[in-house]
Amino acid sequence: MKVNYNWLSLWVDINLSPDDLANLLNHLGIEVENIELTSNDAIFSLDITPNRPDLLSIQGISREIAAKTDKNLKKVINYQIPEGVRQDKGIELSVTIESVGDCARYVASLIDGIEIGPSPTLISERLEKCGIRSINNVIDITNYVLLEIGQPLHAFDYDRIGNKIIVRRAKNGETIVTLEEEEKVLSNLDLVIADNRKPIAIAGVIGGESSGIIEKTKTIVLESAFFKPELIRKTSRRLKLSTESSYRFERKADIGILRTASLYALHLLLKYAKGKSVCSIIDTNTNPELMREVPFSFEKTNRLLGKRVEKEEVNAIFNKLGFRSNGDDTNPKIEIPSYRRDIELEEDLTEEIGRFIGYDNIPSRFGYSNEHPIIKEERDILPIKRIMTSLGSSEAMNIPFIEPSWVKREGENPIELKNPMWSDKNILRVTLLPGLISNVKRNLNRGEESVALFEVGKVFTREREEEEMVSGILAGNMPINWYEAQRPADFYDIKGTIEVLLKELNIGGYQFSECKDPFYIKERALSLNLDKSTIGCFGLLCQDICKADIFGFEFNLHKLLSSPKEKIQYLRTYRFPPIKRDLSIVVDEKTPYDRVKNIINSIITHDVKIELIDVYKDLKIGSNKKSLTIRLELYHPAKTITEEEIKKDMENVIKGLSKLGADLRK
Amino acid sequence: MKLHELEKNARKEIEETATSEELEKVRIRYLGRKGKLTEILHSIGNLSKEEKPVVGRVANRIKVELDQLILIRKKNLEESRTLGLEDLSLPGRKPTIGNLHPLTILSEEIINMFISMGFSVVEGPEIETDYYNFTALNTPPEHPARDLHDTFYLKDGRLLRTHTSPVQIRIMEKHSPPLRIISPGRCYRVDTFDPSHSPTFTQIEGLWVDKDVSMADLFGTLKIFARKTFGEDTKVEFLPGYFPFTEPSAELWIQCPFCTGKGCSVCHQGNIEILGCGMVHPNVLKNMGYSEFLGFAFGMGVERIAMIKYNINDIRLFYQNDLQFLKQFNESKL
Repeated sequence: MKVNYNWLSLWVDINLSPDDLANLLNHLGIEVENIELTSNDAIFSLDITPNRPDLLSIQGISREIAAKTDKNLKKVINYQIPEGVRQDKGIELSVTIESVGDCARYVASLIDGIEIGPSPTLISERLEKCGIRSINNVIDITNYVLLEIGQPLHAFDYDRIGNKIIVRRAKNGETIVTLEEEEKVLSNLDLVIADNRKPIAIAGVIGGESSGIIEKTKTIVLESAFFKPELIRKTSRRLKLSTESSYRFERKADIGILRTASLYALHLLLKYAKGKSVCSIIDTNTNPELMREVPFSFEKTNRLLGKRVEKEEVNAIFNKLGFRSNGDDTNPKIEIPSYRRDIELEEDLTEEIGRFIGYDNIPSRFGYSNEHPIIKEERDILPIKRIMTSLGSSEAMNIPFIEPSWVKREGENPIELKNPMWSDKNILRVTLLPGLISNVKRNLNRGEESVALFEVGKVFTREREEEEMVSGILAGNMPINWYEAQRPADFYDIKGTIEVLLKELNIGGYQFSECKDPFYIKERALSLNLDKSTIGCFGLLCQDICKADIFGFEFNLHKLLSSPKEKIQYLRTYRFPPIKRDLSIVVDEKTPYDRVKNIINSIITHDVKIELIDVYKDLKIGSNKKSLTIRLELYHPAKTITEEEIKKDMENVIKGLSKLGADLRK
Repeated sequence: MKLHELEKNARKEIEETATSEELEKVRIRYLGRKGKLTEILHSIGNLSKEEKPVVGRVANRIKVELDQLILIRKKNLEESRTLGLEDLSLPGRKPTIGNLHPLTILSEEIINMFISMGFSVVEGPEIETDYYNFTALNTPPEHPARDLHDTFYLKDGRLLRTHTSPVQIRIMEKHSPPLRIISPGRCYRVDTFDPSHSPTFTQIEGLWVDKDVSMADLFGTLKIFARKTFGEDTKVEFLPGYFPFTEPSAELWIQCPFCTGKGCSVCHQGNIEILGCGMVHPNVLKNMGYSEFLGFAFGMGVERIAMIKYNINDIRLFYQNDLQFLKQFNESKL
């Protein structure tokens, strides 16, 4: 909301520079978003919190300034109809509230002799400073009253509606063309103002086109009402129609000010719109609840603020705010005026005390403590993240909305958004891969040669709700340097990452097996299994997902971290250096290295460390063959192994491997 | 003589080699199985009695010396490929290290700060019900404060949490006070994706419930946080605020670090809002079942703090994952 300095000055003596006034407002919790200085005025953009509809007017802001600076308001709006113009010309008007719970009070005034024309500059200038376009004298006057004292008003052309005003729920399917010339279809959840035949306004939101003020308008019905906030809010949201009126009504307007607002508007209409006579004023609730009692506790306030407040101080603050105390010393009852409907509980009064004492005057304290339990949650994802960065991967975070085409796994159903951010990305991610793949593309397009990223985050399916995953991706070349030839990333890079990850997480006893995940190329991917349960897959991603070679993995974090850890047990160190033997064999290219290694392991009688140190294919060794060079390091805890002992082991190994069809390379 | 000429040529050729491969060729030419010197050594037997010892001695000396020379040359050649210049300014051999996301780094920093103040870290689901996200937090349906949280709804009627406050309710259902918790996590609000808005963001919320915890404790705790995060000299101020789940409510503001309080495009007249906080609303305590206790709560957006702390001008950078961006953050730098 915008308010200008000069208008506020008519209500209260400010004696502060615009900057100081902004500072004062900020300290009252009225956030000044911007100050616009003009040649002789300053316009403040205020962010009014939804609990304070009373601040949505010049009067409301002035009340706060006056209370904070210990001043009285200079202006009181309290008009009566001048005796001379009151006359009953026998024009009839009746107001019927059919939907009683929805409209607690309705004040209708009838005034004639109106001549529509431009507003005086005084009014149009003030409106425009506060961000409201000037239209004509009548409309402007309703807006002027709204801005100055906060009550939304609406003017109907009496000659365009019947003489009956009915407040009722709309019938299902009933329509109305609004002042903005849009047709709206209503339902019985909407409240309308109707004449005998049809709705003439959507209550509290917007008027109807057929009943509005036009150039020829002579007689107007002025509406000043109080509508049920929840109802106005629902209608406003459903019709996507938010107006100055609906904004105030849905936050709860002041039921006590309706008649005052009407009389103020009538006064202005007589003065600035050539109004001649006020024919009638109808008020459906002449005795609304104006003051309301809320209990206050000094003891609770002291406990909440952490500061002792004095009785005089508190009473003075209540006084300035227009609250009245019944004088009880310990637990007084405080009477709250109708415009402060946000004050409902004693804690609300405590906040008023805190606000006016100033939060700066509440001491800071640290150290108060009763013994409390430390709640331990068995989940720590930071180590995994650190392992990934140590392996050259950087952490990414993506927005978890994806396209439904990513749902490829059998038996997996996505969770759909009702109001998606982007219409094509209307489901929650079922995998972290889409985000990471788009990150790879973006980085490659920006000239990165080497992209390694990972993400830890949640995926969502109807079957399993939320699951936290860790996923990584590798694409492009490996990082370039001066001491090694550059090469593209390949399967063994991602596999190495996973092997280190598992080792660092102290997870043993896992197996790799065939990958059935549709995101990967079967021949170039594996799945990771722990305890017969699949943790996830890794390998080359399908080419229909991404044209470039991208290697990825995705594991279920919970399964990964909750898997049984290898028990750390010290075994031994070896005093004697190992005997090293390199073994070069030629096997069928389809023979997995794993099998070769297992055979060696099962045959060697010594403690042995096995390392693959060379592998290649060459026509010289035969097509469909591959050569493996394996380094064996043999250890003995108590002595140096003799040549004789090694010879026997090696012969047995060669014999064992020959059953695999392995030949010793010459 | 022929042998001396051979030695001279061999020495020259060895010196002139530029690669190990060339050197190997020279070695084969002279010392290989059919090499020039090897042939001479093999043919010594055919020489006269007088020539035999002389030629034999010289040829063997040349062989030993050439072997030596080749070895040295080989070593030099290998060294010159990498360290010929003894240039100690060459970058060292190092593994590639990735970087943690700045939001992870900052979250950890903040979380650890609160852990050291006795808070426990708890987490909850990102898909929530209307009850936990709003109603239990004193924001019943059609409450105008719901406007502050434009919500992503799911087709099944649930929603993506708009803050991590529902975790507070869930924890209070399981544990009884006194307690101190912080709940970090992903939140979602319908917002455009532009330099200052994002549909997803990271929040850290705190809750301290005890018999007599007060605003003084709230202010004391958060001042420690603000000074540790933004520097010891940071000017910290609490202003009244509004949140449906706290009463009284406050906002923590610091002096704008960009203009040091003079006023700029980032701040409001020299100040920046960092977080919202307040005393837990009596209705929320009632919903948790702990009306006899008091408590304070606070909530902050990690992106916002990171943007202020690290001078980041576009929130989208956090979710676009450009390596150029990510590589600028590591824990010791921050």
